[in-house]
Amino acid sequence: MSEREFVIPIGPQHPALKEPESFLFTVDGEVVVDVEPRIGYNHRGIEKAMESRNYIQNLYITERVCGICSNAHQTAYTGAVEEVGGIEIPERAKYIRVFMQELERIHSHLLWLGVAAHEIGFDTMFYYVWRDREVVMDLLEEVSGNRCNYAMATVGGVRRDLPRDKYPKWHKMLDKLAERTNYYIKVASTEKTILERAVGVGYLGKEDMIRLSGSGPNARSSGVPCDIRKLTPYLIYDEIPFEHIYVDNGDVLGQVLVRTLEVVEAVKICKWVLDNIPEGEIAVKFNPLQRLPEGEAVYLVEAQRGELIHYTISDGRNMPYRHKIRAPTLGNIPSLVERLKGGYIADIPITIAGIDPCFSCTDRMAFYDEGKDKTWTWTDVELSKYRKEWYSR
Amino acid sequence: MSNPLTTLVAVLFFPGLSFILTYALWCQWVSRKAAARLQNRQGPLHTGWQGTLQPLADFIKLLVNEDITPAAADKPVFNYSPIAVFAIPLAATFLIPIQSLTSLWGWEPIVSFQGDLIIILFLMSVVILAVFLGGWSSGNVFGAVGATRAALMMLAYEIPLSLVAIGPAILAGSLQISEIVDWQVTSVNTFFRAPSIQGIAIVGVLFIGVVIYIMCLLAELELRPFDISEAETEIVHGWQVEYSGKKLALLNAGHDIKMVLAAALVTSLFLGGPAGPILPPFAWFILKTTFCVLVLTNLSVLFARFRIDQMVAGAWKYLVPLAVLQVMAVVALSGVI
Repeated sequence: MSEREFVIPIGPQHPALKEPESFLFTVDGEVVVDVEPRIGYNHRGIEKAMESRNYIQNLYITERVCGICSNAHQTAYTGAVEEVGGIEIPERAKYIRVFMQELERIHSHLLWLGVAAHEIGFDTMFYYVWRDREVVMDLLEEVSGNRCNYAMATVGGVRRDLPRDKYPKWHKMLDKLAERTNYYIKVASTEKTILERAVGVGYLGKEDMIRLSGSGPNARSSGVPCDIRKLTPYLIYDEIPFEHIYVDNGDVLGQVLVRTLEVVEAVKICKWVLDNIPEGEIAVKFNPLQRLPEGEAVYLVEAQRGELIHYTISDGRNMPYRHKIRAPTLGNIPSLVERLKGGYIADIPITIAGIDPCFSCTDRMAFYDEGKDKTWTWTDVELSKYRKEWYSR
Repeated sequence: MSNPLTTLVAVLFFPGLSFILTYALWCQWVSRKAAARLQNRQGPLHTGWQGTLQPLADFIKLLVNEDITPAAADKPVFNYSPIAVFAIPLAATFLIPIQSLTSLWGWEPIVSFQGDLIIILFLMSVVILAVFLGGWSSGNVFGAVGATRAALMMLAYEIPLSLVAIGPAILAGSLQISEIVDWQVTSVNTFFRAPSIQGIAIVGVLFIGVVIYIMCLLAELELRPFDISEAETEIVHGWQVEYSGKKLALLNAGHDIKMVLAAALVTSLFLGGPAGPILPPFAWFILKTTFCVLVLTNLSVLFARFRIDQMVAGAWKYLVPLAVLQVMAVVALSGVI
């Protein structure tokens, strides 16, 4: 480190970060030279907790991995469990799951758009976007009864039906969302001060993005077509006509465009689902005591933030032997580090927010000694002993 | 104001300390409420009528809050700079013509002398020095970055700000604010009696001046799009980051007074000061400055925040040449050369 450079710590607590994560920035004046991310501040033991609960109880744990992609986690979890158990869900349930997934995508992307505007200091847009986001929140509440953590999916189908007499009203709400989103696309791509802060900020090219294996809107903003809904369609995504959105801007503007255009596509998907949903049952019976056959399954879902992987192993009991969740943000951190290098301090918040990070879903904890290259585990007794020692120092 | 009693009343109550402090809180309410309504929010609502007492409540609450001085801070500088940030703009408002106590239609300031415009411009720059010292001495990385940004920003906007303020002074042929106001009143009266092309040209040139002036004031007041030195999402309120309790209350009050001072300067230099028909001077002063506060607020909710390099480059590329051209046009129109 030369004399002109100094280190700015951002996180674990910083207003630009909504969750605890640490980035050590080496800066030269206002320019970022190097970034050292450090993950693992938030250990919640969700995967371990899932191993001692049955498949129905686990529904509500997976949902609480993340407040914003709760439905994506539930879809992936139920998908994996149904694959292990060989459970075929009714056609109508698949449509309802897609409907929920796309509504959640709209809500998440609009939320992100507001946060991004706030990060570049454009609070007016933040308030406007979040006001319009209330439309989709109301819609979600009408469908599921909740504004987040919808508890819609269950093993074997979904828990609530979509009442047909509400469809015209929902169509109107979706139209309003599409109209407002198109307006924001116009604002974001023409307003001078936004362009000043978005064009060329946090640039990462297509080759680098493929090398660093980003996923979701983060990768699609660099021109990598990587939508799981198109590559390995799940549920009924192979039947739905929708566009594979990706742009080759590679910067924050690209991320704004990908997400807003995806909102427009999601509105189209929702309207298509409402038009084409078949009649029938919404769930097959699944007993909490029901044992699943031995086996394992991987289920990929295109969550709002990227590729979400749920991997479950069953050993023949009514609870999983192991359930592994890989949240999309973990795959996006290497590309985020590359995006940050060479940028300005002022662009750090928007670049970090640009990948729509969800650090709490990502973080796991493990013991690892770098010098001796060994890992180990601690029981809760050892952990509380360590805690006592730490606080009595 | 030769009578010592009148002077004392003027300094302590009206139009001095008490009036300016109350008016600063009013301006904060106007600014907050207008910004909130423009952003589809309600703004202050519950304390007093439509939340008018909210700024006062915030001020008192901050006075009660715990006051922390960081161990790493340079204590004397850190403790005294909020006082400077509060007191200097307050002192500068004494030079602004608001209302005379001896006659209802007079408006001579508490202190007035040839060259007080220069003093006001000087005092406004000194505030930034206090800001810089406060941020730098706080012993915090964000504070240091914010302080550097504040100083860098001053290098960008201070020159066009001062140049444009000199425009009306050249036209009036005086560096005394009350004389500039008098000149505006007489020339407006002459213009209405006998409109001339030259008058329209002067209004046009001064309009360019007021546009530049307001843009520089946005930077001076750290409002968007130039709130770079306190950018909340980037450097956590920048130079203010370590301030709390009484010191933060003083800083906030200082910011409001600076806003009043800025609005008062726009009013005095370009909008005819407290002069106007029917109503007494202080009423016109309040109307005009509130209007200026509304304009500043409206501009500050319209934009995203610039980066420091964009701001400095933009100021030197566009504002400085424009300000120089404006002053040249003023000189040509005034017939000095």
